[in-house]
Amino acid sequence: MANKPRVAIFDFTGCEGCELSQLNFEDQLLDILAQVDIVEWREAMDDRADEYDIAFVEGALSTPDCIKRIHDIRRRSKVLVALGSCAVDGGVNAIKNLHPIEEVRAEVYGKDQYLFPTLPALPLSAVVKVDHNVRGCPMTQGEFLRLFTALVMGKQFAEPDQSVCVECKLNENECVFERGMICLGPVTRGGCNSQCTNFGQYCIGCRGLVSEPNLAGMAETLASHGLAMDEAWKRLQLYNAYRLQGVRA
Amino acid sequence: MAQSFLEQARVLDFIVHLQTRHTVYAPHRRGQRSFAFEKTSDPAAVELDYPRVLGSVKKYFLPPRETLMDFDLKTDTATAPQVEPVNAVFLGVHSYDLAAVKRLDHNFLTGKPERNYLVRRQGARFIGVSYVPDKFHFAGSVGIDPYDMTGSDVFLTRHPDGWIVDVLTGEGAALLQGFALPPHALPKPKREHFTQHIYVPQDSLGRILEASYDHPVWNETARSCLSCGTCNLVCPTCYCFNVEDQVAVTGDSGSRERSWDGCMLRGFTEVAGGEVFREKSAARQRHRIYRKFKYLSDATGQPWCVGCGRCTAACTAGISIVDIVNRLIRDAEREEKITA
Ligand code: SF4
Ligand code: SF4
Ligand code: SF4
Ligand code: SF4
Repeated sequence: MANKPRVAIFDFTGCEGCELSQLNFEDQLLDILAQVDIVEWREAMDDRADEYDIAFVEGALSTPDCIKRIHDIRRRSKVLVALGSCAVDGGVNAIKNLHPIEEVRAEVYGKDQYLFPTLPALPLSAVVKVDHNVRGCPMTQGEFLRLFTALVMGKQFAEPDQSVCVECKLNENECVFERGMICLGPVTRGGCNSQCTNFGQYCIGCRGLVSEPNLAGMAETLASHGLAMDEAWKRLQLYNAYRLQGVRA
Repeated sequence: MAQSFLEQARVLDFIVHLQTRHTVYAPHRRGQRSFAFEKTSDPAAVELDYPRVLGSVKKYFLPPRETLMDFDLKTDTATAPQVEPVNAVFLGVHSYDLAAVKRLDHNFLTGKPERNYLVRRQGARFIGVSYVPDKFHFAGSVGIDPYDMTGSDVFLTRHPDGWIVDVLTGEGAALLQGFALPPHALPKPKREHFTQHIYVPQDSLGRILEASYDHPVWNETARSCLSCGTCNLVCPTCYCFNVEDQVAVTGDSGSRERSWDGCMLRGFTEVAGGEVFREKSAARQRHRIYRKFKYLSDATGQPWCVGCGRCTAACTAGISIVDIVNRLIRDAEREEKITA
């Protein structure tokens, strides 16, 4: 490639776990860096550039300032990628949207609440066009690598859209429902190689929902395995509070 | 052929005998309440009394994931990894899973033969075991009883003191060579009863399905179905797969990967341009059932479901293939009574 793609990395409201997990690529980090010019990365360097071929953006939008910044980033980026559950779906941040925003501010900031303007948490896609998602909490590293490679090569990237159960079955795991646990795998988007259920842990749905989830059916299934209906919907909301707003039948 | 007796106390010695000459795959405990075929190292870990294994022996011939090709973009070359015959003894296979292997053989031999599958299938020898049907098995309804020895080289039938051993092929006789067993005279075991049944034979079922294309059961089932694909992925006769290229981060090499896929998944019918031609979960459920009891069955006269009960046992939404099919049968019979 004649010119290396200019890459920038930004973060909004989140734990920065997604960015940190990029720094964790160890053996692949050098290969990644060799393919691109990193022109902006708050966590690792202190440089500023005006235009980006690819902007990777982590975190949900939750203040008026976030909204301004994301528009600015979008304007300057050819390709914008949402990194991690917060950026893709609003993530756990969006749980606060279930409560009146004034209550949330008072709870979090106490007497200083008026110093911190806050909005209901939004995924990037609620405000700007997002070209690709890397899902997961923290983001799924393998998916980041697949997308990264596709972008650098100028190839299409097919986002997985099948349940976690698929990889769970390819791995021939005992279904955790067999052990009296409940699992969000059937409606959660796979692509993580069912990394939790491989260890006998249930899936909490961190990669968000498949494109057409049967939510009422999932809630029924959870209820038939012993959860109260309200609890069942709460489980589904953990990572999907934004997408589930107004959905519950 | 000859029948002999394997006392319970000699089962471990028997497994050791097999192991000294062969790779042995057998059922082992998996998780808290499940079983799975694994390569045997400790004979004491083998479980011959088990209700069903999570995935059938299919996984050895059609692996859940496999590399079809490695490519190098710098030199523009590709190589296919060497596929080896499985060449092993499968100990403790149930009759329905052997019937499923026969069906897969048909699938991969018919039309353009599938080389990887057929190569892997070579050298597989099967020691079948009888089983006690649980609340999900209905193999009897598709003509495969728990003592059916079809496909086995040696068959072990449960007896209170051990196993009645039937040697069915020359390969089977070779497996037992050097392991002397006393002869056994026939008291046939009592027949095991299935609690689940499909109420009509395959030829009627094909006709009933033909007439049930617009039956309400498809939409009703779709209300609870999560489209998770589990029912396909656990099925011993499902053989659909997806193929994807993976490229290394360096962008100069990669591989072509194949993995199991299933018709209950929405993306299964997604084609170039984003069109999904079985968009509705109801249509996918109908397709699955037709694949098991109509499409392939019309051509071969055999149901492509072997009654293992896995899809029902594994469905977290509680959808039962037997209930769906019996509902269609009941309604078709009612209709016939009305029109007759
Ligand atoms: S453990 Fe969860 S992901 Fe795995 S099959 Fe069961 S429901 Fe699906
Ligand atoms: S199994 Fe579920 S919770 Fe675990 S990483 Fe995958 S999507 Fe997230
Ligand atoms: S296992 Fe059950 S919920 Fe999942 S696709 Fe099959 S029928 Fe639907
Ligand atoms: S359709 Fe269900 S019962 Fe029939 S063979 Fe497949 S998994 Fe077993």
